[in-house]
Amino acid sequence: MPALTPSDKRTADGRLVIGVADLAVSADPEATLITYALGSCIGVTIFDPVARVGGMLHFMLPNSKISDGKAERSPAMFADTGVPLLFRQAYALGASKENLIVCAAGGAEILDDDGHFKVGSRNRTILRKIFWKNGILLSADDTGGSISRTLSLSVATGEVVVRHKGKERAIWPV
Amino acid sequence: MAGLTGLLEGAEQLRPLPAAAGRVIAMLSSDQPDLLEVAQIVRLDETLSLAVLRAANSAVYGVPGRSFDLREATVRLGVRTLSKLVLELQVAGLLKAEMSSFGLRRGALWRGALGGAIAAEGLASDHAPELRDLAFVGALFRDIGKLVIEVRHGGEYERMVATHLSAGVSFDQAERAAFGADHAEVGAALATHWGLPPRIADAVRWHHAPPPPESAGHDPLFDLVHTADLVCLWADLCVGVDGLQYRVSEHVREALSLTRRDVERRIAIVWDNLRAAEEALAPAQPERRSA
Repeated sequence: MPALTPSDKRTADGRLVIGVADLAVSADPEATLITYALGSCIGVTIFDPVARVGGMLHFMLPNSKISDGKAERSPAMFADTGVPLLFRQAYALGASKENLIVCAAGGAEILDDDGHFKVGSRNRTILRKIFWKNGILLSADDTGGSISRTLSLSVATGEVVVRHKGKERAIWPV
Repeated sequence: MAGLTGLLEGAEQLRPLPAAAGRVIAMLSSDQPDLLEVAQIVRLDETLSLAVLRAANSAVYGVPGRSFDLREATVRLGVRTLSKLVLELQVAGLLKAEMSSFGLRRGALWRGALGGAIAAEGLASDHAPELRDLAFVGALFRDIGKLVIEVRHGGEYERMVATHLSAGVSFDQAERAAFGADHAEVGAALATHWGLPPRIADAVRWHHAPPPPESAGHDPLFDLVHTADLVCLWADLCVGVDGLQYRVSEHVREALSLTRRDVERRIAIVWDNLRAAEEALAPAQPERRSA
């Protein structure tokens, strides 16, 4: 995966835009990490209030085993490769696991009447499994439904905001 | 209720479809597109020529250490790739605007269009190779109705539709309740207005609800475009205020033997191929001058 440094992604207003199948971490107190239009994909934020390090991942699919070689090129595409990478990159900036505040948003579902595909709910299930196996608790979870969400994290305060249909709601702290 | 006629009042304010795009679509809709004719379209347009040259020499289509001139590039790309490249270059400008009506950031409608075209072509390759080109074109244009709605209603649109949304109601159902027509029907009308072939206009019309095999309107092309649209939604391409509030057509799921694993594989492939296509289409970077 190409190096994803915050300076590569900063917009004119200072926000770091995280695309689909993408991640970034930052220790810049001025930075706000944001990902737009989460559907069945999930956005994960992590924040260490002591080290003042924040990170965000926008993964698409639960498991990298569906396609050989893709995880090497795009680890942030999958939960099972993207989540460990997000944490490792935050640790490299000084974050500690015991301090991390972890939030998630997205995982929406198409109106699939008999639940045949469940792309969003499989993303949610795998994410919870990964966290459970690693002893990580979700501090806030705004997932499910059929709506799109925009997710942002302020590295200065750790505030995590979900925007849906023009309305913003802080999911952490509450 | 504004109805289709009311919604279509916005169509007159849109830029027309470039003539070159219309000619390429007509060729792709026929069984035998002609390389010489497409090459002629490219040669006559300086912007197109430069863009085709850039794409042919990009990491996606090029060969390291070699530079192709326009004639070589034309032959190297071949008629189908060249035609699609021309179409993408001609249509991108129409679809890159911000869509406040659907809450889409600038460029999102275009990414969804291109991603859908790539997904539809891949699906057709596996299920109905003779429909590859039509599926590409149909999926590329499937959401053009949103252009008309943007001009007509802008940011007010979502609020007007939202009053008709409730649990289990799809967004297109709510649009029909609000306006008597949905964006797919508006798109079909615009496709006709632009002179696109009737089968493409119908692929646009039915991209959310393709008619089942037992009905007179059934066409496997519409099933492919419908599935490509779903793959894009699952890949977070072109997800706006309508969210994921659309239905999977049951007959399409069975006809294309769609499994969860197959769908997830296609989502990953579309994303990779979209990035490659965007790289090939990317404008040239300004050359750095040495001090």
